[in-house]
Amino acid sequence: MADCTPFEMIAYTGSRVLEDNKIVFVGTGLPIIASMHAQLTHAPGLGIIFEAGPLTPILEMGMPLSVGDTRACRKACYLKGLCAVFELTQRGHADYAFIGGAQIDMYGNVNSTFEGGTYTEALTRFPGSGGAGAMAANCEKSIIIMALEKRRFVNKLEFLTSIGFGDGSPDYREKAGVMGSGPYRVITNEALFGFDEDSKRMVLLEVAPGRTAEQIQEKVSFELIISPGLKEMAEPTDEDLRLLRTECDPDGYFLARKVK
Amino acid sequence: MSMIKKKTGSLIENVSSLQQSELSKIEEDPFQWWGLSPEDARKIMVNKPKDLRDKRMTLKESVAKYIHGKEGLNIAIGGFVNTRPPVALIHEIIRQGAKDLTLSFQSSSICPELLAGAMLLYPQQVSIKRVELAWWGYEVIGIAPLLRHLISNGMIKLDDYTNYGMSARFKAASMGLEFLPVRDHGGSDMELVNRGTMVESPFTGKNTYLVPACYPDVGLIHATAADMYGNCRIFGALCTCPEISIAAGHTIVTTEQIIPNENIRTYPNLTEIPYTAVDAVVEQRFGGYPGACYGNYWFDMEHILMFRSASDEFRKTGNADKLKKYYEEYIFGCETYDDFLSKLPYTTLKKIREMDGGQPIILS
Repeated sequence: MADCTPFEMIAYTGSRVLEDNKIVFVGTGLPIIASMHAQLTHAPGLGIIFEAGPLTPILEMGMPLSVGDTRACRKACYLKGLCAVFELTQRGHADYAFIGGAQIDMYGNVNSTFEGGTYTEALTRFPGSGGAGAMAANCEKSIIIMALEKRRFVNKLEFLTSIGFGDGSPDYREKAGVMGSGPYRVITNEALFGFDEDSKRMVLLEVAPGRTAEQIQEKVSFELIISPGLKEMAEPTDEDLRLLRTECDPDGYFLARKVK
Repeated sequence: MSMIKKKTGSLIENVSSLQQSELSKIEEDPFQWWGLSPEDARKIMVNKPKDLRDKRMTLKESVAKYIHGKEGLNIAIGGFVNTRPPVALIHEIIRQGAKDLTLSFQSSSICPELLAGAMLLYPQQVSIKRVELAWWGYEVIGIAPLLRHLISNGMIKLDDYTNYGMSARFKAASMGLEFLPVRDHGGSDMELVNRGTMVESPFTGKNTYLVPACYPDVGLIHATAADMYGNCRIFGALCTCPEISIAAGHTIVTTEQIIPNENIRTYPNLTEIPYTAVDAVVEQRFGGYPGACYGNYWFDMEHILMFRSASDEFRKTGNADKLKKYYEEYIFGCETYDDFLSKLPYTTLKKIREMDGGQPIILS
């Protein structure tokens, strides 16, 4: 395998996680790239929803730079507005939410609202929920991209923007009034996580080649459950990298970024 | 004593560390409409003449009639991030001035940033009191520096919802309702801080989140095409424009092009906003620039980057020179939006037209 960047590893892993013949509701950036890669490889029947309005467009004009990009509407089967796609999602038409955020906790709850200070006078105010809060609530399964850092994998979020399993109570999501079944995968460039069915806690499923479970645990504030079947993450082939670099994000908007 | 004053229906309390922060600042005041009440909005609508009348006017006339001199308006911003933002209208509002604003939108970029910059540089001209929103930023281009500045200095109040939450709030108002039940916000901290509330369903007793309707005083929409009466066609994503225009007390539409009413009547299914919901029609080519308008032009990343970097420099260093120059050159130095567009190189407008790729629209 050729050398790949951390973002390419995330995009490739995201693609692997997406099943064929499903619909994925995407956030801007790596989720779009992962979905395009999946369509080009193992999931030709995968459809994409963008929150501004389009259902299952054909992304033949290149990667939309944002979920509101006019290119994301190209040759859609159905094109209305935000109400239409989020209401289809409440009704069960969207299988995956594919979102990011600034912090995540062991139950897959995500913060994308603020860090530092207080809610009313945040030191670092982020853009806000956007669609993520609604996607995490009502797509059937949530896939979350996060950089693997202790300050991001936290014991307690500063603000819970996108619902996961809450405090881990079995009826947390039901009492929240949401419809989706909740967090499914958390993707980083060094590890892939899932969730334990009973405790709802984050489980380490796969580690990047050359990494150990201990090394991953060191980058996470809370205690991870280590899957008894812990696996090595698959790496992209040369052909996968060619697709990512020349078909999905040829201008390197997201894949060629420097890791902070 | 719990610092949470708001009644919660889910198990959200104590999941995050929000309780230890300063939740006591968010008092549960008796509910008030941040824009019009359903009754006032209805009264405004009932009292409008309903005939087909020519509503064409200039940008200047439309803002003078519905915004200038009226303090404390709730102004809804149409479009979605960099798609069909009503930028021409925002420039005119800044030129004429508007104080004590409430802004309402789902996701927006340069429009609230332009107003925020005006508030910071020309506080006698423009001020924002509070914003009801889901998202404020530039997506691939970066975070919104002026939002961050306003919040870290405690200068404005925010009311946070999801993109669906804000859309449902406009939709509720477009239906003449007080609220809509939605399947999100519950179990997140938005349940604690925003003005929605969890109730038990009267039918099953299950928890159901309600968001209050949002009836803006004025809705700002940029549409692909409209007739002189205000019937609008929108191609590409509709965003929440149909709902906002019907929700608002008054709606100003800028449009790329006026088309004959005969065309509207040939394909009535293509009308996304009915004329009864529109009060002013302004023909303004490139009215969404530097945002995109499907079938007409793509967004101009370079121009947005230029404004954003001037904003970021102000946030990081306090040096407002570049930001001020932007306002003086492009807004106060212009009489009309055409004057602003005339300052752009022809090659820029040519390039963004090409970048649109000729997305198909129907004008006939």
